[in-house]
Amino acid sequence: MSEYSVVGKPLPRVDGLKKLSGQAKFTVDIVLPDMLYAKILRSPHPHARILSIDTSQAEALLGVAAVITGKDTQGIRYGFVDTPSFPAEERPMAEEKVRFIGESVVAVAAVDPDTAEDALDLIEVEYDPLPAVFDPEESMKDGAPQIHGEITRTTSCAWEDWGVARKSHSYTPINNVAGKVEFSYGDLNKGFAEADYIREDRFKSPATAHMAMEPHTIVASYDPLSGKLDVWLNHMAYEIKRYWLAKTLNMPNEKIRVHQTYVGGAFGGKAVIFDFEVIAAFLSRKLGRPVKLELTREEVFSTCRNSIRFDTTLKTGVKKDGTIIAQHAKVIVDAGAYKGSAAVAMYLSHAFNDSCFDRHNVLHEGVAAYTNKNFGFAKRGHGSPQMRFAFDSQIDMICEHLGLDPVEFMLKNCRKKGEVLPNGDRLDSYGLPKCIQGVADAIGWKEKRGKQKDKNRGMGIGVNGMFSGSGYWPFACSAIVRLNHNGTVTLMEGDVEFGQGPDTAYSQIVAETLGLPLEDVTLVAGDSELCPLNYSNFLSGGLFVGGGACYYAALDLRNKLLKAGSEFFKTAPEDLDMKNRAVFIKAKPQKSVPFGDLLRINIQKHLGDAMIGVGYKKAVPEIEFYPSLSKGTGRFTDAYSYAAAAAEVEVDRETGRVKVLKLAMADDCGNRINPAAVEGQMASQAVMGMGDALLEEVIDEHGRVINPTLVDYEIPRAFDVPEIILVDGCDWEPKGPYGGKEAGEVARAAVIPAIANAIHDAVGVRVFRVPITPERLLTALKNQGK
Amino acid sequence: MEITKKVLKVTVNGRPYELLVKPKTTLLQLLRNELGLTGAKQSCMDNSCGACTVIIDNMAVKACSVLAMQVNGKQITTVEGLAKDGVLTPLQDAFLRHSAFQCGFCTPGKLMSATAMLQETPNPTEEEIRRDMEGNLCRCTGYKQYIEAIMEVAQKKEVSK
Repeated sequence: MSEYSVVGKPLPRVDGLKKLSGQAKFTVDIVLPDMLYAKILRSPHPHARILSIDTSQAEALLGVAAVITGKDTQGIRYGFVDTPSFPAEERPMAEEKVRFIGESVVAVAAVDPDTAEDALDLIEVEYDPLPAVFDPEESMKDGAPQIHGEITRTTSCAWEDWGVARKSHSYTPINNVAGKVEFSYGDLNKGFAEADYIREDRFKSPATAHMAMEPHTIVASYDPLSGKLDVWLNHMAYEIKRYWLAKTLNMPNEKIRVHQTYVGGAFGGKAVIFDFEVIAAFLSRKLGRPVKLELTREEVFSTCRNSIRFDTTLKTGVKKDGTIIAQHAKVIVDAGAYKGSAAVAMYLSHAFNDSCFDRHNVLHEGVAAYTNKNFGFAKRGHGSPQMRFAFDSQIDMICEHLGLDPVEFMLKNCRKKGEVLPNGDRLDSYGLPKCIQGVADAIGWKEKRGKQKDKNRGMGIGVNGMFSGSGYWPFACSAIVRLNHNGTVTLMEGDVEFGQGPDTAYSQIVAETLGLPLEDVTLVAGDSELCPLNYSNFLSGGLFVGGGACYYAALDLRNKLLKAGSEFFKTAPEDLDMKNRAVFIKAKPQKSVPFGDLLRINIQKHLGDAMIGVGYKKAVPEIEFYPSLSKGTGRFTDAYSYAAAAAEVEVDRETGRVKVLKLAMADDCGNRINPAAVEGQMASQAVMGMGDALLEEVIDEHGRVINPTLVDYEIPRAFDVPEIILVDGCDWEPKGPYGGKEAGEVARAAVIPAIANAIHDAVGVRVFRVPITPERLLTALKNQGK
Repeated sequence: MEITKKVLKVTVNGRPYELLVKPKTTLLQLLRNELGLTGAKQSCMDNSCGACTVIIDNMAVKACSVLAMQVNGKQITTVEGLAKDGVLTPLQDAFLRHSAFQCGFCTPGKLMSATAMLQETPNPTEEEIRRDMEGNLCRCTGYKQYIEAIMEVAQKKEVSK
């Protein structure tokens, strides 16, 4: 039983009434007086020089307010990775040439969307098509078309602005290499020499869409009188969007306000700044009027960030008893036209993997190649869904060869609680063994694994580890808790609610700390002007870092109330506690003083001290900045979360269709602040992972996305969903607020190999590429003689 | 080009309206842009996600795929019309208690589909609910908690019968 009264309870979400009544405002719902609507003309070529653009007819169309091209935004650069050695190369609109189908070429602002659309038809662009390349290995060969020339920066880069002392320098990618990582520890050759069994396998993961239900949208409103830009947009952290709007528009940060809206899903896909956001803000400033730019579903699929395409080769050496002794991972990322977060994903595919199992001797090499396609970013797990599909599938194969049980194999190779990882991170909490055992028990592993082949049924398991925030600007989060006259409080914290539940969880943390019921906490969140310095919600640092800041802010106010109470009762603060908006004497609970009275008395006694709690939390305390992506050194996170998934499937040998019968999901999020919310996250990832394993792929042919609609890009529907069993695998995290840590993105990766392995258990074939479509499975059944 | 607007008489959430609309205006555009009822959402733009679902007379319909003029003389209910006098419907209340939503973007559509289903089939089985909710995509919840919420309402109806 929990000793808490608010934390650990499945309380109704604080955003519930608004969302259930249709009152919740999303960016798509924002309409401002005198607002214009913008549309973008996009490249039909994967690679071409722009010879000329004629916008005269479009400009002459009644209702068109402005037409802009790459000439207007010449030289503006941005990107998730903008370091001194690798400056950003993304741009709001193509300049001399286009590099993928869908790249922005011309933008129009008009009185309504139809007029803007009509104007696009009147624009003439003359292209000189260039040879294009779509395969990363082809792209890195000598003589392949070069996608980028010199990449240069005319301003400081982001990491200079954020405190890195080095100056950025220009560079020219050689053979289309967009990024490289290499790190190692131990002695790989020695490890392989000690191995009794070595195998090498190659796996592929495609680009998949985040498919957030709200299409990416921005409303930008520039006021020429005050020089201020107000924006409403789909985001996962206002700090990074505001930073990049300020940087790209060359405006002071404080002249930009990101307003609170609810965000209709994100899953990593809305964190970075986008071309269309810079375009809308640019148009609004040019015109001095509000501009709305809402992307179509097709634009989201084919021009916004999807997950990153991985080609993973794993060579793993194990001893007879199942001890992993060496691993050599080679990752090729098909980056697309711009580098996006390719280097980060290649790094994370190692770092997350390293938190799960002890592999003793490791070499991890990654290379990302530019191609003439749309480019990628983080999607729920950032690099680990791709790696877990590869590694946990390979574990299954190793176990088959050695006659071992995958559950026992995994438990044997787990790291140990309290262990310090090669990069210096310490596992103060480590629930992975509990998760593995939990899902195995829940699904009936011992009884059923390998024993239902006659029914074409099988079982498989997968795992994952995930950080709880990492070293990324602004490196820390802060929160304010204000005491109100009636003893209620107002929490001010910047995280944005996109479904993951911070509004409720943070309110619970504050209520618990102050002995208040949940409804006594009023929340001000997600507004860059009303909230203090914010970290982000796209690095899985929400609960651990943002929630931690809220906890410390509430604790600060609690200590102030106890101090005021001790003066009032003339007793030590340790003798006091608080409940129901009052401080009371523990030994004599009937002796209490309301918070409101303490506030009044404190103001009278202490020169107007109004009792405000302030808290902050640094994402990774021991490091000044961030770990080296290229070398893999340096602290990375202060707490890892874990998950395991076990799947039971049935395969139809005639059609190649896979029916998922059951999914058991275990999470180690430290402690469930709101169990209903955590279970929601787990069910969510179970189903999303099912889509990854069986259905989802953004398919392109010669650089053109051929399934950019929900008719052609299938995601799981209500009827596809199997029985989902949720298991608590929590291991209390001492540095987390009430023991809590990340819960939102660890589990998706575990589901993918669990299903792939279950298919193998059912019919004895291995498909090395997700999604495992009926076509691929039938081919595998045929080729592997099953 | 001159576009002739037509007169549309419709009742939305119990309120009668007489409006001039363009022939190509969809019901979703009418609700969102003309009436300011933004609960119904536009997401897929091709009739496949259900985020724009409203009830026309007693039937759940995707408002993006219906022209405004087609609802002439009909009764429309949107998510804004569910709660009465500050009281949630049993279904809304069950969604709240079951944490049956996350980002909330597709929630209005789900509520309308499920409301219409429960009117027509008061005691559906879980399989019937899943089949009926096929048209409402959700990326956040994994469908688990909201199916449970609908089940609870369906079972309570059975008990009170």
